[in-house]
Amino acid sequence: MYTANNQIVFARQEARQALRRNQNTVRFKAPVGLGPVTHTVLIALMLAVLGLVYLTQITKTSTFGYQLNDLTTKQEQLASENSDLQVETARLQALERVQQSNVAKAMTTPASTEYANQN
Amino acid sequence: MEYAYNRTRIIIGLIVVFGLIFVVRLFQLQILQHDYYQKQAILEHTTKFTIPASRGLIYAHDGTDKFAPLVLNEPVYTVYADPTYVKDEGKVADVMRRIAGGNVTKGFEDRLKDDKLRYTVIARQISKTQADLIKKEDLDGVGLQQETKRVYPEDALASQTLGFVNGEGEGQYGIEQALNGELAGKDGLLNAVTDVHGIPISVGAESVNTPPQNGKNLVLTIDRNIQAKTEQILKSGLDKAKATKGSLMVMDPNNGRILAMANWPTYNPNDFKSVEDYTVFSNKAVSDPYEPGSVIKALTMGVGLNEGKIQPNTTYNNTTTLKIDDATIRNVLTSPTGSVTMTQVLAYSFNTGVVQVLRWLGGGEEINQKGKEVLYKYFTDNFMFGQKTGIKLAGEVGGEIISPDDPQGGNVRYANMSFGQGMSASMVQVLSAFAASVNGGTYYEPKIVDGYLGADLKTFTEEPSKIRRTGVLSADASAKLRQMLHDARLGSSVAHGEKGGYYTGGKTGTAQVYDPKTGNYSETETIGSYLGFGGQDKPQYVIMVRVDDARNGGFSGSAAAAPIFTELSNWMLDYLQIQPKG
Repeated sequence: MYTANNQIVFARQEARQALRRNQNTVRFKAPVGLGPVTHTVLIALMLAVLGLVYLTQITKTSTFGYQLNDLTTKQEQLASENSDLQVETARLQALERVQQSNVAKAMTTPASTEYANQN
Repeated sequence: MEYAYNRTRIIIGLIVVFGLIFVVRLFQLQILQHDYYQKQAILEHTTKFTIPASRGLIYAHDGTDKFAPLVLNEPVYTVYADPTYVKDEGKVADVMRRIAGGNVTKGFEDRLKDDKLRYTVIARQISKTQADLIKKEDLDGVGLQQETKRVYPEDALASQTLGFVNGEGEGQYGIEQALNGELAGKDGLLNAVTDVHGIPISVGAESVNTPPQNGKNLVLTIDRNIQAKTEQILKSGLDKAKATKGSLMVMDPNNGRILAMANWPTYNPNDFKSVEDYTVFSNKAVSDPYEPGSVIKALTMGVGLNEGKIQPNTTYNNTTTLKIDDATIRNVLTSPTGSVTMTQVLAYSFNTGVVQVLRWLGGGEEINQKGKEVLYKYFTDNFMFGQKTGIKLAGEVGGEIISPDDPQGGNVRYANMSFGQGMSASMVQVLSAFAASVNGGTYYEPKIVDGYLGADLKTFTEEPSKIRRTGVLSADASAKLRQMLHDARLGSSVAHGEKGGYYTGGKTGTAQVYDPKTGNYSETETIGSYLGFGGQDKPQYVIMVRVDDARNGGFSGSAAAAPIFTELSNWMLDYLQIQPKG
């Protein structure tokens, strides 16, 4: 049986052979292969690189930890200064202190109070 | 050859055996005891840090739209030393004396020389400025530890309402004790891997950081200006009355907000450790029940009005004395006699007049069980005597009202109760009941916490006032009682010095004091009270005054307590900018 499908397959094979026509017919083979020692060294090197990457990451995290610690300390210092100033402000604005101020001492009680009618 | 071969085999065998021993041991350590050694390792390089929660601040109102701090936290430092590492004890001692001054601990110089000690406190509660100066000196073996100290910038202002915080960080007395849980917050926890210096470096899954929950910032209903004026007027009033003890309260009757609460003697919570008489710590306005005396006549009249038994102009025949069982009830003032109105009963404070109301409550001309039951029901259910008001202050007491079914609840006791003797109540109870009687009949829980301030100290969330009971008196009875109290005040000498054109009213009380030594009422000691209201055409504030040991002559209710009410009431009218009528 010769079908239209077989015709297509043959046409493809011919095209492939036409492409390979100018290729070398001699197969190259390296004179020396990678032995077991080389493999071991390579694996060791890869492990060492991985180790270095891991260590770099850990160090980076530690550095961030120190930075975080520094920032936390600074934040605490600022909060502490803020509380200090809050207390100082409150002390300066305490009624007793205000009453003892020269401005308050110079004030007088009004003789009478008049109310303006809004209507 | 055979010998050498055997030797090699023996060596190989030994190596294998030792190798196996190592493998077995490693298996034991790394596989079988893995969990134990992992735990040990984690313990070695992790440290738990407690992150202290900041205690909530307490504010008061400062006029209508501002808040003023009454309690803050101040960072302070403890200076400690490890004598093993202190190189120059003389220098440390010099620096500490020069910078820390009075904050150094007793005998710290000797402890610095004791190498057996690894930790000793050499100064406490030094300021940040002092701490910075000490840090600059770079003293070997000396360290600083930050703490916070509770600070009361207004010193003694409202001290018994606030309370204080003891050395263990627990609130004592007042709002500090009553709301200790809300104010304290919850400490956080940092469980972190640390370096050799103990600094957390945030590595590893075992690092846990639970942030602290800071305490809530409270805003009290107290207005610091009213509070300061109240304290000032109380002190000057006590001085004028030659008295040494007293209390004064101001409340808004339309929502139960306590605007001021003062007691004398008082103390400065910044320096609570120097107080020798611990009784000054307690807030007597809430924790010291007493027989309130004739101020209660206002409430008995309210009961009569509400029950429809009397009207302001109802009269009775005043004979100045009444015989109740084996006791004689006497009026203090002996005139007028004959036909006297209920308003006059309040103006002249006739005991016999309110006993007559008690008789009418029972439907007859003598005190009976029904009358006593009606009065008891009003006192306990409507005015809520004998139970705590629920004010958020430490040490509140409920007082005592004897039931008519109790063997002690006889006719004489109930006759006495109608004018405020033979029962006990705190000032806050009496003032809350009075506020309900004159505001139209709504009993508000006395409110001391007005709301909460957010962490930004700007966002205010108000707590709504709580109504504990409506219909304490009908609106009609309440209005009539107000008018009776107004007329009674203006019709007596206690209104002397009052600003004209306002709607004020009130009732005096001079209560006898029970003497535990004799088992009878004292002949010399009395407690003077005044209970009143003020406003333009309805009560906008109610005030209660208590003077414990007046020595200025006359009846302490009118001679010592009433002038304090008048002075504070006049000031309140100005402060609240209430315009006079007409």
